[in-house]
Amino acid sequence: MSQPTDGKLNRRDFVKLTFGWCAALFATGASAAAGARFLIPNVLYEPDRRYKALKPDDYPEGITFLPEIRTFLIRNGDKLRAVSAVCTHLGCTVNPSADGKGFHCPCHGSQFDENGAVVSGPAPKPLPCPAVSLSRDGRLVIDASQQVPPTQALVV
Amino acid sequence: MPKRLWNLFCRSRIGRSIFRVGLPASSLDRMRAAVSSFVLHIHPAKVHARTLKFSTTFGLGLISLYLFIILSVTGALLMFYYVPATDQAYQSMKDLEFVVSAGQVVRNIHSWAAHLMVLFVGLHMCRVFYTAAYKPPREFNWVVGLALFLLTLGLSFTGYLLPWDQLAYWAITVGTSIAGYAPLIGEKMKFILLGGHTVGQAALIRFYVLHVVALPAAMALLIAIHLWRVRTDGGLARPEEPEPTPEQMPAAALPQTKTYGLMELARGTTPSVGAPPDDLVFTWPHLLFREILLFLFVFALVLVPAILWNAPLEEIANAVYPPNPAKAPWYFLGLQELVSHSAFWGGVVVPGLIVTALAVLPYLDRKPKGVGVWFSGERKVAIAIFSVCLATMLTLTAIGCWFRGPNWALQAPWKPHVVAEERRP
Repeated sequence: MSQPTDGKLNRRDFVKLTFGWCAALFATGASAAAGARFLIPNVLYEPDRRYKALKPDDYPEGITFLPEIRTFLIRNGDKLRAVSAVCTHLGCTVNPSADGKGFHCPCHGSQFDENGAVVSGPAPKPLPCPAVSLSRDGRLVIDASQQVPPTQALVV
Repeated sequence: MPKRLWNLFCRSRIGRSIFRVGLPASSLDRMRAAVSSFVLHIHPAKVHARTLKFSTTFGLGLISLYLFIILSVTGALLMFYYVPATDQAYQSMKDLEFVVSAGQVVRNIHSWAAHLMVLFVGLHMCRVFYTAAYKPPREFNWVVGLALFLLTLGLSFTGYLLPWDQLAYWAITVGTSIAGYAPLIGEKMKFILLGGHTVGQAALIRFYVLHVVALPAAMALLIAIHLWRVRTDGGLARPEEPEPTPEQMPAAALPQTKTYGLMELARGTTPSVGAPPDDLVFTWPHLLFREILLFLFVFALVLVPAILWNAPLEEIANAVYPPNPAKAPWYFLGLQELVSHSAFWGGVVVPGLIVTALAVLPYLDRKPKGVGVWFSGERKVAIAIFSVCLATMLTLTAIGCWFRGPNWALQAPWKPHVVAEERRP
């Protein structure tokens, strides 16, 4: 520093130091932010969350598993509804229980009833129920991005 | 004869430009060799005699370092064949097994050494705790060591996905879901780690880059700092020396006119501070010989199982059906056991508390009691707390390993493993 005035900062040095540190902090912060943002992808090469299934009549009474979207399609007479097969605990695929009522997870033993509600185990939330609708050409559309209450079903 | 040839070479113009000191004939040579050689300068010229005693450390830290070196070399070899793409990764595993000469053995060594490294880094940590070697001035090196332990786990975990088999796919699905439970930033963290919502191509390439570049680079840097600090903190922790008896010459009274007297100056925290002169031995040959011997032992330790048993490889990853039961690698089974009760408490709170407690330990427990002594009677409370935590974690791991059957139901390991009838819809 030019002309030390007994330990006190003169105006010129104060401006220099302030400007220098601000520039350094800004450069570091901006680089860190850009680096972090760089790691968040803008385009995902993942399957569509809306899935077009077959026609309603192609599915038998009871539970049918749709592996492409890891979802159960449940037919009860003329009522069709869907329950997600992805365990809300840690993402394993649940299986239908041996007695045909409800589901269980092989990873950490969570149990769900036929509506997806948690019966026992570590799962914190019920299995979500994706919306089921009919497309214009008469085929089923299951939309995992839309959740409906388990009582809601498509009547065909 | 080879000794004479070597000395002749070392005395030649070229030899001197490379090695500076030939095979040491005198004490002065041994000092000069230790300070002038890049490879040897990691060591002090002389070490305390306790360093050579196997039961002081059981060589656990050095074994971990050797395993890291073995892992780096075999890992680089595997990179010549491995392709980090979801439709080729598993095929590269099969190529290594059936097509590449010695491919299976290289992969086996890599796999065994990885498991052993987790084990030995853990044992090394226990050794440092039970001999109170984390106390001042070594507090920060304990924290660096903790970071190295976490990096070891991170390297194991990222490497676990790469074979792209069922074991890999579901262990990572479960592991990254645990990250999603962290408050506030959990979901975002999981998304960045996977590069998407599910384990797929983006996740595979991310784990690959972490496994082969980012984490090993961080590890190499931290190992360098860790070793450097071992020296600057005064070598291995050792108990207080008794007052020098009259017939022993205090270090400060040593002749300081000789060249090698510089190395024995009693200042700061060098290993020679306050030590009677007879307690120090030359690094070359005493320590060096033991280190080379230990490397041969470690190499045999990974090579023999690698020849006898193949590293596991299950069927190719199936994003729909998890294996039953789906288990994480053994060192995470204690956590998985906790997670099977509550993902938030077991996956976030408990590991967070363990890491925090370990990190602040040397700053809380500062009394210089029992340093360098195994299970010192002066530290009963600290030893009891640590041992109870350790035993709990080991019990949970054992339960997860051997007592959990299909659907994560409790099952005795000696009972036949009844695989629940797979009701795949």
